Amino acid sequence: MSEENKMLEIKNLHARVEDEHREILRGVNLTVKAGEVHAIMGPNGSGKSTLSYVLTGRDGYEVSEGSVTYKGEDLLEMEPDERAAKGIFLAFQYPVEIPGVATMQFLKVALNAQRKARGEAELTTPDFMRLVRERAGKLGVAQEMLKRPVNVGFSGGEKKRAEILQMAVLEPALCILDETDSGLDIDALKVVADGVNALRSPDRAMIVITHYQRLLNYIVPDVVHVLSKGRIVRSGDKSLALELEEQGYAAYAEEAA
Amino acid sequence: MDQIVQKTAAEAAWLEAGGGLSWLEAERAKAVESFGRTGLPNRRLEDWKWTDLKRLIDGAYPALAGSEAGAAAVDALMASAPFGDLAATRLVFVNGRFDAARSRIADEADVEIVPLAAAERPGWVKVTGTEEDPIDALNLAHLSDGAAIRVPAGTAAEGAIELCFIAAPGAAATLTTRNVVVVEEGAALSLIETHLGNDVAHAANSVTEVRVGKGARLDRVKLQRDDASSVHLANLVAGLGAGSTLHDFTLTMGARVVRQQGFVRFEGEGATARIAGAYLLAGRQHADTRLLVDHAVPGCTSRELFKCVMDENARGIFQGKVVVRPDAQKTDGKQSSHGLLLSPTAEFDAKPELEIFADDVVCGHGATSGEIDEDQMFYLRARGIPEPQARSLLVAAFVGEAIAAVEDEALRDCLSDMAARWLAGERRAAA
Repeated sequence: MSEENKMLEIKNLHARVEDEHREILRGVNLTVKAGEVHAIMGPNGSGKSTLSYVLTGRDGYEVSEGSVTYKGEDLLEMEPDERAAKGIFLAFQYPVEIPGVATMQFLKVALNAQRKARGEAELTTPDFMRLVRERAGKLGVAQEMLKRPVNVGFSGGEKKRAEILQMAVLEPALCILDETDSGLDIDALKVVADGVNALRSPDRAMIVITHYQRLLNYIVPDVVHVLSKGRIVRSGDKSLALELEEQGYAAYAEEAA
Repeated sequence: MDQIVQKTAAEAAWLEAGGGLSWLEAERAKAVESFGRTGLPNRRLEDWKWTDLKRLIDGAYPALAGSEAGAAAVDALMASAPFGDLAATRLVFVNGRFDAARSRIADEADVEIVPLAAAERPGWVKVTGTEEDPIDALNLAHLSDGAAIRVPAGTAAEGAIELCFIAAPGAAATLTTRNVVVVEEGAALSLIETHLGNDVAHAANSVTEVRVGKGARLDRVKLQRDDASSVHLANLVAGLGAGSTLHDFTLTMGARVVRQQGFVRFEGEGATARIAGAYLLAGRQHADTRLLVDHAVPGCTSRELFKCVMDENARGIFQGKVVVRPDAQKTDGKQSSHGLLLSPTAEFDAKPELEIFADDVVCGHGATSGEIDEDQMFYLRARGIPEPQARSLLVAAFVGEAIAAVEDEALRDCLSDMAARWLAGERRAAA
């Protein structure tokens, strides 16, 4: 593939939690092209969540070495909201409750803030309502849920579904799904996976972070990477996920040590 | 009781000042005597430990109610009154005196409204007073005017009644007003108190006495936006009859020093009181709310919720005390106060107290203080909301939980809008 459709290029990325000596990411290299779905698998503590937070700009992480280029720009220089406006979306492992802010209001403020940052006209309330209703309908998200405060009192499945709804409304270019399968039963998992698959497109890339292979039965990746002790130690096609399911991560823990 | 050894300038000026209403001469004499003994409270008194008025009120404030105010300044303040035409009746008090020309009184035959300073008053206009309370003593000593309102039994006042207290530029003044509100059996009233001031360092002393009769209901919303260099002292004294309801909400945005006290007493069984409030403070503002909810009879419900936002060097204080008397079984009392600190130099102090002498009750309290939640902040920013907007959204949601206690939607929207404008930087905080 040509250089132009490289969406994300991570080179030798080293990062640690601020004020802590130990590096969590110890030289990650990863290139993601538009249209691709990459799965990043790894045991607990391998650095999966840190990678997602460094990519989205969360405070408290320090990049000591390496670079991240997103659509030709230095991603690490951008504020979290700039990254979002440029098309990066993180589906949180633990979606945050925000009492007092209705889900609908939150979605509207977020979408219009992104549109404004991109120099696009803000959506009118009726246009916005139409968009949300249509996307919510497809994901089986009830109107009643949209009136409730963001994630407050939502079940585990509702929270994950709400994340995917946000993704569907905000239409990002690069979706990072952090352990989206955790806490879901098989039916909820199917609904969420269907929502994600509906968003697959030639101009959109996805990074699916997961501990278990199960999710990848429903969101089938183009490439599977194994992250262990802060490095990608192996990459392969979807069969790698099945192999991990059978053999576990023990071999990789030693390999990376 | 402490003896005043040396009077501060404010104490001396207040003791020497004239004022008071002639028909309350006996009460005035008693109040002057009481204040002469106690003076302004200081931090050695437990209830005043965070609000040492003796030190905080350092200037002399002569009682100058009724001093000439420029019409243009008054008009400008009236134009900034946020509730506009929401209330059917609006009584305006300029620098402590009733201003008939700026007031409007809806034609509601049943509801009686009398200025407290009127020469002729119906028999129901009575003041009760609060023993040994310096705010009440000063009020009775200097009282210039106020509103007396009576909603007769079984009458639901059609529109809200707004009392607008305007402090307009003039000499530094003590503006002392008192309201007497009687909601008789089965009646209902929505009362708004709006306190506005600008460009005048004044001391406002405002007491509202309410009697809510059997099965009656009073909704009261108070907005305090006095000038950021002034002092605001206020008491709410409420007696609640059987099965009655009091919903009270106060938004505190103004003044340099605020001490507001609520004395709520359940006098009949099965009554409910919901007392809520929000602070939006910045600069060096200091606001202290003290509530005393007295469950004197069985089967009453009290709820208190205060959400306090402090920026810069502001200090917010909440002291809530719930007393459950020995006979007051089946009392249900809950209070909570929450401080949100927007700067490292802001402060919030809370002192919840429960004094329970009955054994079959459900009572609880909670107090928290903290900064903006970093997880919430990141979540909003990760969705594309820039930092200042995300911060505003979270603070608005925080005070919104208290504003939600106001049942009237139009009033609630006005209050939310005021909070939003404060968050957007429209502040008149003390330097």
